[in-house]
Amino acid sequence: MAIVRDATVPELTAAGAFQEAPSRPLGRTLRRYAPIGIGVVMALAMVVIAAGAPLIAPLSPSAQFADAVLKGPGAVERHALGTDEFGRDLLSRIIWGARVSLQVGLASVIFGFGLGVPLGILAGVQGGRIETCIMRGADMLMAFPTLLLALIIVTALGGTLPNEILAIGVALTPNFVRLARGLALTIREQDYIVAARALGSGQLRVMARHVFPNALYALVVVATLYIATAIRTEATLSFLGFGIPPPTPSWGNILSEGRQYIKCCMWITTFSGLAIMLAVLAFNLVGDALRDLLDPRLRGE
Amino acid sequence: MVQYVLRRLVVAVPMLLGAMSIVFFAMRVLPGDPCVAMMGDQATTEALADCTKHLGLNRPLAVQYVDYLWRSVQFDFGSSLRQGYPVSEYIARMFPHTLVLVMASAIVAALVGIPIGIVSALKRRNPLIDYPLRIFALLGLSMPVFWLGILLLIAFSLRLNLFPLIGGGDLDGVIHMIRTGEVFSNPADFLAAVGDVLHHLALPALALGFTLAATVSRLSRSAMLEVISQDYIRTARAKGRDEWAVVYKHALRNMMVPLLTIIGLFVAIALTGTVVTETVFTRPGLGKMLVDAIGARDYPLAQGGITVFTVIIITVNLVVDMLYAVVDPRVTYK
Repeated sequence: MAIVRDATVPELTAAGAFQEAPSRPLGRTLRRYAPIGIGVVMALAMVVIAAGAPLIAPLSPSAQFADAVLKGPGAVERHALGTDEFGRDLLSRIIWGARVSLQVGLASVIFGFGLGVPLGILAGVQGGRIETCIMRGADMLMAFPTLLLALIIVTALGGTLPNEILAIGVALTPNFVRLARGLALTIREQDYIVAARALGSGQLRVMARHVFPNALYALVVVATLYIATAIRTEATLSFLGFGIPPPTPSWGNILSEGRQYIKCCMWITTFSGLAIMLAVLAFNLVGDALRDLLDPRLRGE
Repeated sequence: MVQYVLRRLVVAVPMLLGAMSIVFFAMRVLPGDPCVAMMGDQATTEALADCTKHLGLNRPLAVQYVDYLWRSVQFDFGSSLRQGYPVSEYIARMFPHTLVLVMASAIVAALVGIPIGIVSALKRRNPLIDYPLRIFALLGLSMPVFWLGILLLIAFSLRLNLFPLIGGGDLDGVIHMIRTGEVFSNPADFLAAVGDVLHHLALPALALGFTLAATVSRLSRSAMLEVISQDYIRTARAKGRDEWAVVYKHALRNMMVPLLTIIGLFVAIALTGTVVTETVFTRPGLGKMLVDAIGARDYPLAQGGITVFTVIIITVNLVVDMLYAVVDPRVTYK
């Protein structure tokens, strides 16, 4: 006699060991994991497209076809999304643009994480003057909006890929510092830290082996969300003209170039903007879903 | 309470100084000599030397730094390198446009975002309502402001011809009329000018407001959720109070503190948003001025602009901190 399990009442399975595996209603599972599934698929797709751009793009992003200037999507057989004012294939440019956006997005977050988290944990665990020093510095940087700070740095250093990564990375660092310090403050009160210290672990060991792994969950969630922010910031910088200079395609500068043609040929701005939105959406979905999964208390958000 | 206020002030001042110092050194680090930029590379060495001396750029860095700080405190940011007019005047002229944009987007964001956030929190068990709202929030969060702005322009300005493509409207006229009291002597003209300003404001405010509404709705949702799970809500419900009263009298009032945080964050995000929005819609304003100035290495203008931005953000956060203390006295005990 098979007992139909209600997935939310596990106590009913008192004699559980011999029963069949619970049959979760498929609808509920789908609904619960759909967002992260969609997000992960989208994000992975973006990464694959970016990495495989030379193989995936149908045409070269800088090849100019004089016979197909400003043609709409599908108007010419080989240009699925249309062409721009120089006759360059829009689809290929957008695919190559994914490289810039994703490289900057991922690398700048890794930079900010790598720089900010150790500083934050140091501040949280050590306390005292080191903490004050680090936090004052972080607060001063945080008085600047992320975009503005990145803008200043990129203008100072010049618009190249590594500089963009550095600029956005530095702009994100204080956020990581703040977060890591907050987490460290909570974690250091835990019993296992006291135990570790009692067993003679030095500060460094405590920070690396105990504080950091326990802070990792929350840090990863935030880092994913910041990837979305970084991609958006990079697109904004490129749009304003401070990012990678043309002719290298980046979603922001494709959009910016297309802006002059919105009267006749809106597909340029539409598709590049859509690409930006999908990339940002993908990482937001993944970050949100991670947060829901890893910290049920926050699920309400 | 006074102690709390003083403590916050004491913290704010070095932050302000620090931010201004960062601005100063960042500008000096920028490659490109403003004198060369202004006079072209055919200029003679004497002309360049004159220009440098005139701009005070040949003084030792420390002297320039102190001078900069001292003058900034008096709101004297020098004169624009490109066009020569005093920076503070230019900022004062651009400021109302940005202010109006931020206020209008704030209204849009609040009107759209807060109810959505609250409804989303209250109806979270009902996937039919919760899901579309959450999708709205995610889309708004992910959509770049400049893209939404361009889409709005295409739809409402180009295709439907309902709104103007560029410009900020006759805001100077409005201000002038308010100042000279013409508001009363010539109400028709005043209303026409206000109408013009609003007409130019509609699309940019919508674009910026919608994007901000997404963030606001998420923050309201979590604020509401936090409040709803509190015991006093359960008590009120147990007492048989009708749902409306529970929401209004208890939940909303207690949401005030997190809502203040929202306002504080909002200003920073909105100001950054104006940078892009003003560029897309070709509106006059601080954001566009700043971006142009940085790009053109116009030191005084860029410095003045960034300083004003950061001062506004730090001040708003300070005020929000003060309001926390007013709304929730427990904060002062920390």
